[in-house]
Amino acid sequence: MFENAWNNIIDWFRDRSERAKLVRSFNESAKNSFVSGIAPTLLKASISKGENSYKHQFSNWLNSGYRIQAFTGRVLTKDELIYIGKVILADSVLVRKLIVLGFDTLEIHGDAGTYGCRWQLKDYIPLPKFNENE
Amino acid sequence: MKMNDTLIQDSINVANKAISKISESDETTNIWMWIALAELVIIAYLILREKFKSKVSSKQQFKSESLKQEIDFNNIINSSFNSEKLYDELKVKCHPDRFPTDKEKNLIAENIFQQITKNKTNVKRLLELKEEAIQKLNINF
Repeated sequence: MFENAWNNIIDWFRDRSERAKLVRSFNESAKNSFVSGIAPTLLKASISKGENSYKHQFSNWLNSGYRIQAFTGRVLTKDELIYIGKVILADSVLVRKLIVLGFDTLEIHGDAGTYGCRWQLKDYIPLPKFNENE
Repeated sequence: MKMNDTLIQDSINVANKAISKISESDETTNIWMWIALAELVIIAYLILREKFKSKVSSKQQFKSESLKQEIDFNNIINSSFNSEKLYDELKVKCHPDRFPTDKEKNLIAENIFQQITKNKTNVKRLLELKEEAIQKLNINF
């Protein structure tokens, strides 16, 4: 029992580190793409509250949303926001990784106000049914 | 008769002494027995722990496998802004209907077109397919 609790604590810290790494890597690439002119808008990833009804078996209790926000540069239209979402959801490796790290919602937001789109991640990858007693 | 009595008395005394000695040595044997038992329990616990340790649950296995894979964020961000235009260009230029007479090229174009449709949001793969189309179908972009 003690060992189980200890493993859970270690897993929690490892997950936190992986989540931060995922956000940091995205921001680094977005910055480089904006500076080199590949992307017309600077994108920034962050962790958000997420949608409660999108929960799945790996979901975190709190902060289960992966938010990408468009910052400086050209203002993105709704179609462009949807397209960014589609590109991310088409990458099955990224979606899988997001799911196992406790994210359940993908949010793409514009820079002004809170307009944007969100998707339920579990719809885009078949999650196997796990035996919880294992 | 009296001599027999003393003899019996003596033998009873000797027997008593022997019994008391055996019971004393029994106590020490008991301690060693308990120590051995405790060792056995510890060894059994260590063996079982190792056995259960190797049994990783399928959920954990799924998680560790998913975390092993690397993600190309540069390609994702590039695709977010540039894949649509490239896809539109490729789907027109590499359409199999553009090669109605040449059966071989038509087959290659069909294969490339399928790949293009499958990877329409992946710039890296689309650029590879563009290169393939230039080489195999002699298309000028």
